[in-house]
Amino acid sequence: MRLTTRLLTTAVIASAFAAPAMAEGTLDKIKSSGVIVLGHRDASIPFSYLANDPSKPIGYSHDLQLKVVEAVKKQLKMPNLQVRYNLVTSQTRIPLVQNGTVDLECGSTTNNLERQKQVTFSVGIFEIGTRLMAAKTSGVKDFPDLKGKNVVTTAGTTSERLLKAMNAEKQMGMNIISAKDHGESFLMLESGRAVAFMMDDALLYGEMAKAKNPGNWVVTGKPQSFEIYGCMLRKEDPAFKKVVDDAIKATYKSGEINKIYSKWFMSPVPPKGLNLNFPMSDEFKELVAKPNDKSAEQM
Amino acid sequence: MNYNWDWNIFFKSTGIGSEIYLDWFISGLGWTIAVALVAWIAALAIGSVLGVMRTLPGKVLPAIATAYVELFRNVPLLVQLFMWYFVVPDYLPEATQIWFKQELNPATSAYISVVVCLALFTAARVCEQVRTGIQALPRGQSAAALAVGFSIGQTYRYVLLPQAFRVIIPPLTSEFLNIFKNSSVASLIGLMELLAQTKQTAEFSANIFEAFTLATVIYFVLNMSLMTLMNLIEKKVRIPGMMGGAK
Amino acid sequence: MIRFNNVHKWFKDLHVLNGIDLQVAQGEVVVVCGPSGSGKSTMIRTVNQLESINEGEIWVDGKNVADPKTDLNALRAEVGFVFQHFNLYPHLSVVDNITLSPIKVKGMDKAAADKQAVALLERVGLAHKKDAFPAQLSGGQQQRVAIARGLAMEPRVMLFDEPTSALDPEMIGEVLKVMKDLAESGMTMMVVTHEMGFAREVADRVVFIDHGKIVEQAPPEAFFKNPQHERAQQFLRQLLTPMS
Repeated sequence: MRLTTRLLTTAVIASAFAAPAMAEGTLDKIKSSGVIVLGHRDASIPFSYLANDPSKPIGYSHDLQLKVVEAVKKQLKMPNLQVRYNLVTSQTRIPLVQNGTVDLECGSTTNNLERQKQVTFSVGIFEIGTRLMAAKTSGVKDFPDLKGKNVVTTAGTTSERLLKAMNAEKQMGMNIISAKDHGESFLMLESGRAVAFMMDDALLYGEMAKAKNPGNWVVTGKPQSFEIYGCMLRKEDPAFKKVVDDAIKATYKSGEINKIYSKWFMSPVPPKGLNLNFPMSDEFKELVAKPNDKSAEQM
Repeated sequence: MNYNWDWNIFFKSTGIGSEIYLDWFISGLGWTIAVALVAWIAALAIGSVLGVMRTLPGKVLPAIATAYVELFRNVPLLVQLFMWYFVVPDYLPEATQIWFKQELNPATSAYISVVVCLALFTAARVCEQVRTGIQALPRGQSAAALAVGFSIGQTYRYVLLPQAFRVIIPPLTSEFLNIFKNSSVASLIGLMELLAQTKQTAEFSANIFEAFTLATVIYFVLNMSLMTLMNLIEKKVRIPGMMGGAK
Repeated sequence: MIRFNNVHKWFKDLHVLNGIDLQVAQGEVVVVCGPSGSGKSTMIRTVNQLESINEGEIWVDGKNVADPKTDLNALRAEVGFVFQHFNLYPHLSVVDNITLSPIKVKGMDKAAADKQAVALLERVGLAHKKDAFPAQLSGGQQQRVAIARGLAMEPRVMLFDEPTSALDPEMIGEVLKVMKDLAESGMTMMVVTHEMGFAREVADRVVFIDHGKIVEQAPPEAFFKNPQHERAQQFLRQLLTPMS
């Protein structure tokens, strides 16, 4: 039974994702097709999202993605290289990179060991800490204050994993709500169903900036982990990885990263003109100084 | 494609306490069944009452039932769920509100919302099946029952409904299966049923295909079992001498 | 036992019952006939209010059936009704078809009801079919069960609405025989039928109805030999030579 099921499902899935076997590298593929396919998100503010033009993403990660496109054009001597966009979700991003639909995904994807089994990451493009947002009046200052309380986090994130692990290990008796996206997590917090919202700090600032009364909320608590975001590309493609990494490193070395950073984190951003006011952390400054493609747990 | 298959993932630690991924699927399946079964029983009861109302003489009761059906069938299920979870509780009395939103375990309050939502949504669909079943019976049946002195209530209870339900077992089976599939909306308000656990496993392990394959197999086996059960019931209540139920 | 006083009924613009006056005495057997669409079925269905009336009065056993204060369920329990299409409950066995209303309406206990049902089935010659289901019976057998079902409530009156017109010819006899036995036992009966042989042999009186009006009523001898009204003459001619 188990074997038949396995064979059957493998066959079904394999045919559903029937992409040509990727014997050639991504650069060859781009060269022969004349197109590079970029994976992007729809609501990872301010990393990769859709604002005014539904056909073209914007964001911090997207700007770095475009730096890579420039580098590919130069490398392949194809100034007229076409760019095609492909929207991905947290569930589809890995398979779409693997099966050749998307050549490069830059959004808010954490580099971790589980994902490294499936895809390769570029050098880190951002570093966040997982922290809490709570009402200023709630008295919640840090994680120990959450004992026996309702706490919300977004389903499928590292924060969810950390929060559940912390709850089990330290027997904190928290009720953990896994909301479907960041917007709904914040709604749970705002409507009083949860006293705190645990998430990547950059995203917490993003939610705070969108709130009706941003002044009511505070991001607080000692970071429970640091997460490094990276761009995803197919495994075992050293030629393409070198182009990607070199393009990002060049941005770091030239200091252009500071301009891009302040454009997305220290200034008003579309569509509502929110200013996240999220200064560059010491951890990320260190990453910019010494770029690498390790996950946070490997460092 | 260069996907890294690992079918042993279900027996590996999730990194949370001593749980393995398989535990998540089992707990998810438990929630799925708990949501679907309870909502189904309620939907069957409410839907039958409404279905009878739609066939009663007079104007007011059928109109009420018709309005109910139009409302609950035409508003998307997701919208209804958000109403029951986010909007309706805000109109409860202060103390009930605090109890529902803060004191109650969040899984329980999400469970209540999703059961109410699915029960009322499915009741509208059951209502239409029951109405069709009753209207498909020969008119002489109610006349025969009334002629021996049955009240309207007794006529439905002893004569019309036992026949109508036999007629509509096949469409009811499909509604029964639907409620299991629809129960996956619970994942959107944070109830960790089967689909939510599948997505969580996919995210945590990055073994996306294995997770969704297992979920597919579980849903498939679940549906096959339910269909077998309904077929058994249909056989058991089949009327001797008649093909395929009362007509 | 039954009395119609100037009864009128309309279906929208159609005047189906146009001033019916009729009395049926206790123990009397009255056959009602008339062309199709004459209103005879509607008339018999008004007796136990399966059809309502718009004007006039109908008294059954001293109760005015059109009076909203009359307990219709109790009244109907005393009036047996046999339908053209039998209308047995297909989901119940023969014996359960018969015992359902005595148990649920009269509160009879199941053992007594079963005993009574078997006795009634013997009377209509179907005791051996007590555990069969309606769909396993012929039309004639179903109609005999339907009569037994009506009798199970121990009615004071039995109404028959074209009881043989949905039957194959070879089955009509067995049903008429049961009805004849019933008439001989002294039951008050009102029978809508085209079976003129039955009318001649069993009826005390024949009522001819046309366009919602009783145009002629007479003992069967007189009615068949010497019908007074022109429509009745025409009706009888057509009935006796159906091929013309």
